[in-house]
Amino acid sequence: MSAVEDQADAEQVLAGETAAFEGIVRRWQRPIVNLAYRFCQDRGRAEEMAQEAFLRAYRSLSQWRKEAIFSTWLFALATRMFCSELRRVPARMVSLGDVAELRDQGAADGGLEDQDRERVVRRSVVALPARYREAIILFYFHEMDVAAAAQSLGLPEGTVKARLSRGRELLRSKLSTLLGAPAGEGTLVRRGVP
Amino acid sequence: MSDELDQILSEKDEIVPSSGFVQGVMDAVQREAAAPAPIPFPWKHALPGLAISAVAFISLLVVGIESFSSGTRTASVTPALPPSWVSIFGTSKVQDAGWIAVALVLSFVSIKISMHFAQRES
Repeated sequence: MSAVEDQADAEQVLAGETAAFEGIVRRWQRPIVNLAYRFCQDRGRAEEMAQEAFLRAYRSLSQWRKEAIFSTWLFALATRMFCSELRRVPARMVSLGDVAELRDQGAADGGLEDQDRERVVRRSVVALPARYREAIILFYFHEMDVAAAAQSLGLPEGTVKARLSRGRELLRSKLSTLLGAPAGEGTLVRRGVP
Repeated sequence: MSDELDQILSEKDEIVPSSGFVQGVMDAVQREAAAPAPIPFPWKHALPGLAISAVAFISLLVVGIESFSSGTRTASVTPALPPSWVSIFGTSKVQDAGWIAVALVLSFVSIKISMHFAQRES
């Protein structure tokens, strides 16, 4: 349904009716802002990045080839923008070294609360090297769908799988105590992911 | 542990865009739409100048290569010039004067054309 609405709105915008773009923004604001938030873990910056992504979508709407559905094109455009923005100005977060410190502190205090633990895990993801961070963020954002993550990143599925595997190895090694199992234990096997 | 990692990372830790988000985006879009279109590069006007420059450059190159390959050496050239430069620039004074005249004419024409277009735009 939204694909039809997106196409109709896009055609109106291309015909010169700028106000029709509002429909697109209303439909996709939440996923795009949340995707940006996963990248930067900062609400204000997420909205700024999302706004810039929509503006870029507006500018390059004529380049959307209707072979791909609009949302796929929009996510790919937003992902490229968020990746380059985060590479340009990294998110303010704890480093992987700090994560180990937090983890040890939590262990000494008798364990971290669930909420804290989640926050540490998410920040650990943001602290990963860009190529692994991007693969992990997109994979979980697209509900563990490697194909969708690969499409958003513009990479072959095999490359995304390899980056996911390596990224999770890094996370496991840093968060082993926090998550209550020795490093290297267990392998994620979901939807064909090694 | 992996399941736990999956579970944490899959959790929908969603934020809700602020109430003014859509309006903010649409304001930016309207500004973008209202902005005048960028001025395209005036290829039509620039082409004659570019063509003349290309012809002049190629002519200079051809003359340089010819005089280099013919091995002409003139004694009147300043000794500070390296041999390859001597072969290019060390030709007769009449030829030098010709090139200088061509360069001056080209400079004059390009300045006149630029001024003409600048006056027309203003």
